[in-house]
Amino acid sequence: MKRLWILPVFFLALLVPVAVLAGSAVGFEGVVRSVESRYHVHATHIPFLGLASFIAGRATHGGVANLHIAEFENFSEAVDGEELNHMVQEKLGSGWERIIRETSRQGGEQTLIYMHPEGNRMGLFVVSLDGHELNVIEVSVDPDHLNESVGHYRHHHDNDDESD
Amino acid sequence: MKYRILAFVLGTAALAAPALAQNSPLPLPPPVEKELAARASNVTEVTLGKNMLAFAAKFMNGKDKDEAGVRQLIEGLEGIYVREYTFDKEGQYSIEEIDNLRKYFETSEWSPLVREREKKNSESTDVMVKLVNGESHGMFILTAEPKELTIVLILGPIRMDQLGELKGIGGLGALGGVGKGAKIKTKKGGAE
Repeated sequence: MKRLWILPVFFLALLVPVAVLAGSAVGFEGVVRSVESRYHVHATHIPFLGLASFIAGRATHGGVANLHIAEFENFSEAVDGEELNHMVQEKLGSGWERIIRETSRQGGEQTLIYMHPEGNRMGLFVVSLDGHELNVIEVSVDPDHLNESVGHYRHHHDNDDESD
Repeated sequence: MKYRILAFVLGTAALAAPALAQNSPLPLPPPVEKELAARASNVTEVTLGKNMLAFAAKFMNGKDKDEAGVRQLIEGLEGIYVREYTFDKEGQYSIEEIDNLRKYFETSEWSPLVREREKKNSESTDVMVKLVNGESHGMFILTAEPKELTIVLILGPIRMDQLGELKGIGGLGALGGVGKGAKIKTKKGGAE
């Protein structure tokens, strides 16, 4: 009986690292967890996203990689643009630079786009709130390979136009 | 839904390609920005520093004539900054605030290129150019409408004839006209 005190201690011992890890997560996970925690929402699971990321990478010959998407539907909490901006910036860290910010005072529309040079690649991080839907997206892009892929499709598109 | 997200990602990547930034805050008095942003119903900020612009240039296809022009232009730039404030009603910013913004660039380095005042519509446009050894090394554009205020600051060597190429970047649509205007002005100047 006396040893029952050990149960809550065990519980706490397990809980504390989980809470610390949740709070200290950075990057994409950090932003998603912060949004979930601050606005009391849960990201919708997107099936086969890993496969989609793999296919996107293959299709663009490595032009697009590391695709992460978190989708929050039925987003009803009021959003303070400044607060969201600070939250995202804090979780992303200093390596990421915000290049575009669009914010409405009513809070219904918020867009934050960050860039992060990764050698020859470029990390792109987007947070977009439109009404009741918030999306958090991270993707790594290789400009050279993406240019080739885009050029390939553009070439086909131009040929199609000419044949019409 | 998934297609929409993917389209959004790729669309954003394409849009953001020419718009990349590094540590280069807009060289304006911070209180002005904050005060305007606090009163605006919508604020759009584009902050593009030298390093990010250089990196973005890689996205431009050197074989495409148009893109090669933009690439050449942005590779040499030190920064592009855009601030667009939209207000719910008129009178949300004062003439004094606009004058303070203008005064910030009224130094010996900056020369006025365009000064337009429309009393009827309460609209004004100012274009100032930073001249270093007779060459333009910066451009400041201030457009004030009753419910909208747009500030564009471009730093670095600028070729006026290429400036219009930047009009595709969000908030820089007016540059298409500026480039053409500058051309006309130069021609007139030459004739005089």
